[in-house]
Amino acid sequence: MASISTRIGNFSLENPVILASGILDETSGSLLRSLNEGAGAAVTKSIGVEERKGYPTPVISEISTGLLNAVGLSNPGIENFLSEMSSFPLKEMIIVSIFGKDVDEFVHLSRRVKEAGFDKVELNLSCPHVKGVGSEVGQDLDLVEEIISEIKKETRLQVWAKLTPNVTDIVSLAKASEAADAYVLINTLKATGVEIYSRKFVLSNIVGGYSGPGIKPIALRAVYDVYLETGKDIVGVGGITTWQDAIEFFLLGSRAIQVGTALIYEDYNVYRKIKEGVSKYLDDEGFSKLEDIIGLMVRR
Amino acid sequence: MNHSIITEIKKENEGVFTISFNSDIKASRGQFLMVWVPGGKEVPMSLSRIGNPFSITFRVYGETTRSLSMMKKGERIFFRGPYGNSYPQPKGKVAYVAGGTGLASLKSMIDEFRGDVYVGARSRNELFFLKDDFRVATDDGSLGMKGTVVDLFLPFANDYDYIYICGPEAMVKSLIDRIDQGVRAKIFISLERLMKCGIGICDSCSINGFRVCRDGTVISMEELLKLDEFGVTRRGESGKLELIINGKR
Repeated sequence: MASISTRIGNFSLENPVILASGILDETSGSLLRSLNEGAGAAVTKSIGVEERKGYPTPVISEISTGLLNAVGLSNPGIENFLSEMSSFPLKEMIIVSIFGKDVDEFVHLSRRVKEAGFDKVELNLSCPHVKGVGSEVGQDLDLVEEIISEIKKETRLQVWAKLTPNVTDIVSLAKASEAADAYVLINTLKATGVEIYSRKFVLSNIVGGYSGPGIKPIALRAVYDVYLETGKDIVGVGGITTWQDAIEFFLLGSRAIQVGTALIYEDYNVYRKIKEGVSKYLDDEGFSKLEDIIGLMVRR
Repeated sequence: MNHSIITEIKKENEGVFTISFNSDIKASRGQFLMVWVPGGKEVPMSLSRIGNPFSITFRVYGETTRSLSMMKKGERIFFRGPYGNSYPQPKGKVAYVAGGTGLASLKSMIDEFRGDVYVGARSRNELFFLKDDFRVATDDGSLGMKGTVVDLFLPFANDYDYIYICGPEAMVKSLIDRIDQGVRAKIFISLERLMKCGIGICDSCSINGFRVCRDGTVISMEELLKLDEFGVTRRGESGKLELIINGKR
């Protein structure tokens, strides 16, 4: 059987299927469940300095091509979160997602993550529906550059930069994030939805993020463009539901993939299904390891 | 998002209402809907009747339920779902144990499968769906036994083959802590937790990784006893884990 192990920065994973931030990853019990059900690693819900309740319901809306959400970065705050996670048994398989409004907040959060025994952070530079953080920070190239270089300088954590697709030029954004160990591409697309009989918006916040199968081609394009231009380690995310979807991301340069919305459709079986499918594809197509197909279709 | 025309709205008591509507949804006993007040919030609600007309029964406890209670026949009710699993079918002698509006979730079972019904409330004016043969406990003793429904039920726990329970977490915790673990009955509990998405992705209602909205809401006692967070901690809207203080009932 072909090996599906991979590497992101200095992090080696037995399998390339990672739980994406924002889905079933706010509680330690659910993070552990994903790892037990076969995820190669798990990214936590985005954690900020202070506790946040998030937006009132409705916070999600299912549409035929995926999901709209505006949960509103609800999170218990870094201290409460780390306290719940203090005795978590598989810290090395966790990537802590953090969000902040400026360099100081990001550095503070990173320091606390490191002190708590974790060695990887994913920077949420891309949440499309909360003012003053997420993609509002993530569209400011100078700020992104400074945040990443300060975190690297101050903590030496592995840094994954999750970039927003809600920009005209994601390659420039990637280049500004060069000091990161890896790029995570992409976060949700800024979107909204309407209920026609009540003539009201389907999300309490009006604007939210669009995820799921419908955004896959956009995510693939982002991965392709960024890999072509930078050659850096990329974690692909956006609409991946099947092993075939995952293969597409590997062929265009992703070294690992994340799943989120797919958990609605496939439940926790998604990890096993993708792993088995990828492994069988490699065997059937005559590849001995996952590494052999990463970026295979991109001429750099 | 589905919507249906309200065929009836019934005031069960001072604070409890039942809204009925016809719909082509397929639902099983124990499932719930995410009911939406357009322009306002969305809340999870048990179906108290399955099949046309479908019903939801709820207590007014905030802005959203107040808006729903003031709706009129002929207006549209908006909802997603049904979601969650359902109660397994009983065999033999059946008991239902309900605390507060937990009775709404059990109602469609009670109507279909004969059994003894134990209900509890703070006082008689909070009771609803009452029938002559219901066994009643009230905290203030205004009707039935003075005490909790758990106190009322436990002496008879060995009489049944199937026991279905729905009520506040503190009541359920008290029951599963006190019940003789050797009873012959198969015991199923429908859980109530803060929910946001209803489809098993936001993690708001998870207890030790068990998603009340998707893996539940119905869980066997055997499985519930494995969830050590149950009845001990709860989560607020931020997801912060808090100890339940004063949870005794």
